[in-house]
Amino acid sequence: MTREGIAASLPGRRPQRPGSASTENAGGTGFWSDARVERLLGAIACLVLLIILGMIGFVFSKAWPSFADNGLAWFGSGGDVDLQLEDIFNSPSNPAAYVYTLRAWPLLWGTFVVTAGAVLIGIVFALFAAIFIVEFAPRQVNRVLEPVVRLLAAVPSVVYGLIGILVIVPWVGEHLISLERKESVSNVVQLDGASIGVGILILTVMIVPIMIAIVVDALRAVPRGWTEGAAALGANRWRVTWTIAVRTARPAIVAAAVLATARALGEAIMLSMVAGSASFAPNPIDGITFFFEPTRPLASALVENVEGLSVVPFGQTLFAFAAVLLVSSMFLSLAGFTAKQSMRKYGVRP
Amino acid sequence: MIRMRSLAVVALALCAALATAASASAATITLSGSTSVAPLATKLAKTFVNQPQNKGKVKFVILQGGSDIGITDVSRGRVTLGMSSRDPKPADPGGIVFNKIARDAVCVVTNPSNPIASLSQQQIQDIFSGRIRSWSQVPGASASGPIDLVVRTAASGTQDAFQNIFMGQTLRVAGSATTKSSNGLQAQTIKSDPNAIGYASFHFSHGLFSVPYLGVPCTLRNAKSGQYAGSRNFYLVSRGTATGVAQKFIQFARSAKAQALVSSDWVPLR
Repeated sequence: MTREGIAASLPGRRPQRPGSASTENAGGTGFWSDARVERLLGAIACLVLLIILGMIGFVFSKAWPSFADNGLAWFGSGGDVDLQLEDIFNSPSNPAAYVYTLRAWPLLWGTFVVTAGAVLIGIVFALFAAIFIVEFAPRQVNRVLEPVVRLLAAVPSVVYGLIGILVIVPWVGEHLISLERKESVSNVVQLDGASIGVGILILTVMIVPIMIAIVVDALRAVPRGWTEGAAALGANRWRVTWTIAVRTARPAIVAAAVLATARALGEAIMLSMVAGSASFAPNPIDGITFFFEPTRPLASALVENVEGLSVVPFGQTLFAFAAVLLVSSMFLSLAGFTAKQSMRKYGVRP
Repeated sequence: MIRMRSLAVVALALCAALATAASASAATITLSGSTSVAPLATKLAKTFVNQPQNKGKVKFVILQGGSDIGITDVSRGRVTLGMSSRDPKPADPGGIVFNKIARDAVCVVTNPSNPIASLSQQQIQDIFSGRIRSWSQVPGASASGPIDLVVRTAASGTQDAFQNIFMGQTLRVAGSATTKSSNGLQAQTIKSDPNAIGYASFHFSHGLFSVPYLGVPCTLRNAKSGQYAGSRNFYLVSRGTATGVAQKFIQFARSAKAQALVSSDWVPLR
C-alpha cells in the first residue's frame, strides 16, 4: 500500500502513449514533440540499465582473479585478514607471483551482524514510531515530529561517525567495559569502546528515519473505510491499528526494511569510525562481551584500504569486496520484491 | 534533430581535440614504488610539470606498491624511476642508483596521560608484536591494564615505515591491533583511549605523547640533525645514472625550491 498503488488506481494518471493522438499535432509542439520526448526519455531510462550492466561487468571482471585464486575458500575463515591483505599488498611485481590468498569470513560476518542487528531493532522502533505519528500523536506534536524525522534521514553518515568516535566510543570504552572484561580477552582482541554494539546503535539511528517515513506514508494510505469499519464494530484504536492498518501496510514495512538494509550494507565511513576496524569475527558465545567486540564490515574494509588501489592484486581484492556487496544488495531488492508480490496475492493490497 | 546531431559532432570533436592535445608528444616519466614516497613524489611532480620550461612537455605516471616493487621495476627497465623509502641493500639488483630526495621520521605515540620516558627497539617490538600485552610490563608507563594497539591499514605508507624502522623484516604487528584508515582517525583513537599506543609521522603527532626512542625525543629538530634513530630516507631510484628528463626531475627534487616543499611534511635534505 504505497503511493504507486494509489497512483495506479487513479484513472488518467498513466501517460498516454504517443502515436495516435499526439502525432497528429506533432508539428504544433515544435522541437519537444511527444514522439521525440518519448524517445529521449526512453534513452535516458535505457542508459540507467546500461550503466548498471556496465558496472556489474566491470566490477566482476576486475574482481575475478581474487575469486578464481581462492575459490569458495574466499568466503571461509582462517588466518588474519589484516595480515593477508598486507601480503597481497606487498606481493611481488611479477604478475605470475601475485598473492591473492584471502579468507574474508570475518568481514562478511561483521557485515551481517551489524546490518541485521540495526535493521531488526530499527524496524521495531520505526513501526511503533510510525503508528504513534499516524494514529495517536496530537496535530501539534506531528507538526514538529514529522519534519524532524525527515531531517534526521538526511544527516550525512560522517556526522554520525564523528559523534560516535568523539563521544560514544570513548564513553563506552571508559564506563561500560570493565578492566576485567578487557583483560579477559586481551590476548585475542582489544576492547577500546569501538565495537559492534556502538556500530549497531548508530546505524539504527541512521536508518530508522527512512523507515519511519515509509511506514508513515503507508499507514496514511490505508483506506479510511477499513479502519472506520473496524472502529464501528467496537475495536479500540490500538486494535484497529494493529489488526487492520499495520497488516495492510505490511508490504511497505518490507520495503522499508529492504531499503534500510541496503543503506546499512553500504554504510562504510561511519562504521569504519565506530565499529573498531579490526578484522575480527565477533563471537556470540562471548555473551555481553560480544557487543563490545570490534569488527569491520565489507564496505568499511573497502574504504579503509582504498589507498592501495594501484597495487594490482590488492585492487582486484578490493573489487572482490565490491562485487560481494553488489550481489548481496541485488539479491536483497529481489527478495524484497518477491515478498511484496506474495503479499499482494493474498489480497492485502486493495 | 539536425541541430542536436551537429551539437553531438561538435562535442565529440572537442573531446578528441582535448585528448590529443594532452598527449601530444610529451616526455613521460613513470614512477613506481613506495606508498610513503608517493605523496611527496606527486607533490614534486605537480610543481615540476607546471614549471614554464616543462609545461606540456612532461607527463607523469605514478604507480604505487612498496619500495621493493619500485626497485625491481626500475632495475628491469619497466619504469623510469623507482620510489624507495628504504636504504639500499646488498641484495638489491646491480646497476641502480639511489638518489636521496628527503627524509621522514616516524614517532611512537601514546595517550598524553601515559608519558613514557623512553622505549628501546626491543620493547617496541615486544609491544607491537603482542609479546607484551599489559602496561604493567612496560617500565615507566603510567597506564594500567591491557595495551591497545592502534595501527594503520596495510596500504599505509606510515605502516610501511614503522615496519621497516622498528619491526624489521620478520616481525609483524599483532592481529588483535585496531587498524585505522587515516592518520587522523588513528590519532583520535589514541587521544580518546588512555591505554592506546600507535605510531605516526611527527606531522600527525600533535596532541599525542611522542615516546622518545632510545632516549631521543621525536622532534623535527632531532630528526633533521639525525640524532633521532626512527627516521628513514626517501629515494628516487634510477637505472644507472639518470639521463634526460628523469635527471632533470631528480635535480629539481634536490633543489632548494623543491626542498622547501619537502619541509612542509617531511625532513628536507639540508
